Amino acid sequence: MRAVSTIILFLASTTWIVPAVKAQTSEKSPPCKECHQPRDTTIDLTLFARSVHGDLDCTSCHTDGFDKFPHTSTRAAMPDCRDCHTGSVSPTIDFDKITEGVKASVHAQLVDPAFRCTNCHSPHYFIPGSRMTNVSEALHAANKSCLGCHAAGESTTTEDLAFGNLVEKHRLLFHAELHLQRNACVACHTPRGEQTVHLILPKSEALKDCSACHAKNSLLATKIYLLLAPKQHAEHGWVNVIVFNNAYLTGATRNRWLDWGALALAVLVLLGVTAHGIGRLAFASFRRRS
Amino acid sequence: MKHESSPYPLWLRIWHWGNAFLFVTLLITGLDLHISRPSPSPLGFRTGVLIHNTAGILLTLFYCLFLYGNLRLGNWRYYRVLAEDIAPGLFRQAGYYLWGIFLGSPHPYPESENRKFNPLQKFFYLVVMYLLFPVLTVTGWSLLLPGQLPAVMFGMRGIGLSDLVHTYTGLSVSLFMVVHVYLGTTGTTPGALFRLMWSGHDNEPESISTVRTPSLELQSKVQGEVPIAHSKDRT
Repeated sequence: MRAVSTIILFLASTTWIVPAVKAQTSEKSPPCKECHQPRDTTIDLTLFARSVHGDLDCTSCHTDGFDKFPHTSTRAAMPDCRDCHTGSVSPTIDFDKITEGVKASVHAQLVDPAFRCTNCHSPHYFIPGSRMTNVSEALHAANKSCLGCHAAGESTTTEDLAFGNLVEKHRLLFHAELHLQRNACVACHTPRGEQTVHLILPKSEALKDCSACHAKNSLLATKIYLLLAPKQHAEHGWVNVIVFNNAYLTGATRNRWLDWGALALAVLVLLGVTAHGIGRLAFASFRRRS
Repeated sequence: MKHESSPYPLWLRIWHWGNAFLFVTLLITGLDLHISRPSPSPLGFRTGVLIHNTAGILLTLFYCLFLYGNLRLGNWRYYRVLAEDIAPGLFRQAGYYLWGIFLGSPHPYPESENRKFNPLQKFFYLVVMYLLFPVLTVTGWSLLLPGQLPAVMFGMRGIGLSDLVHTYTGLSVSLFMVVHVYLGTTGTTPGALFRLMWSGHDNEPESISTVRTPSLELQSKVQGEVPIAHSKDRT
């Protein structure tokens, strides 16, 4: 499921609908950066510049009430992401379906009925998948949204402790820590068989079938690597390096040519042994005579 | 452990059958995990992993028993490779399997007190037990403790490379086992060598006459070895 987020990130980067507000040039914009310097603790302007929204003026989203100091606006009064991100951008990115998913998720059902996109996706630092150099980076970005709440801490130490507690809760998995580090939370915590990563399920409904991922048609292989695999395949040749180099999954880390080769070898050995046995039987009478 | 003079002492037979049972278990579960399908898997992925890990740990202990038996209980002497084992030994033995066995030719390297394995056996047993098995064991443990592996080895993800080597070494040993079991039927009767490996001795006196030909007796005497009459071949 985390793959869907990667897909979303990737496709979004190529088909992103830049809001019309971008046309509002900085000439008329309030001088935000006079106060919000690079060392500002509220926003990292360097990271913001690299984000998907980096080309937008601050006032694209921070509309009313931000032109004076102190700012008089509140978050609730700010425009919603869906004011720009609406409809179906592509077959795999349908903001209306994403909204439906969020509304049906455990987050909206049990945590906050007004659960917003920005609870998980930082509008200032959001980077599309196409700008990420590898799968690990995409996974890290995807999981950061979850761990920000589910393994939150005020310092690195407390974050580590919280992550340790999270690992304990996932002891059903072999190598739980590795699974949590190398896998996307939404892979197991969203409905299987649906291309949604926003309908977060309750703990009791989380995916527990290991073979959903640990199989030839892995949930991960068919989703998370869907867009990156052709690129790496073209760069590195026939070996499925996207799987070998980005994940180790028993049952999924397979190469069909090697598997066919192994099967052919096994068949040859069995045929050889069978033929030898038949030959011994056929020559039995000859041996008795001699 | 008492040092037994028999080529098939109790410890060896316990190791052999324990090893066989564990390896078959590992083969079945390993294959099931390798070709895992979204449910229903025959075993269930989690159960498969649990059995595979347990059998792997036990197999390591059995391998330690094998090493101890070879080093301390005298079994190593059967693995000594002599110059004649290579040439003409390997060729003569291969020729026997390819042709002589069909015609009832005498075994070129009958078992004796000092020779339990023919040259081909020595070669394959050495490769399997002292090369493939250690590789299989080390890669198996590395997959059991993946955190200990280097992130990258030979340009590949460490754990991926380890898995690749583990899988195809396992395949090689499995194919060896198929041939091993088949050649086990080439005794005086199809079951003779299996009984021998189970009990440590052959209880079929009639099997002697089919094996001990005058030429073989003569050959053994010429080589200065005392022939053992209970079987004509073993793999």
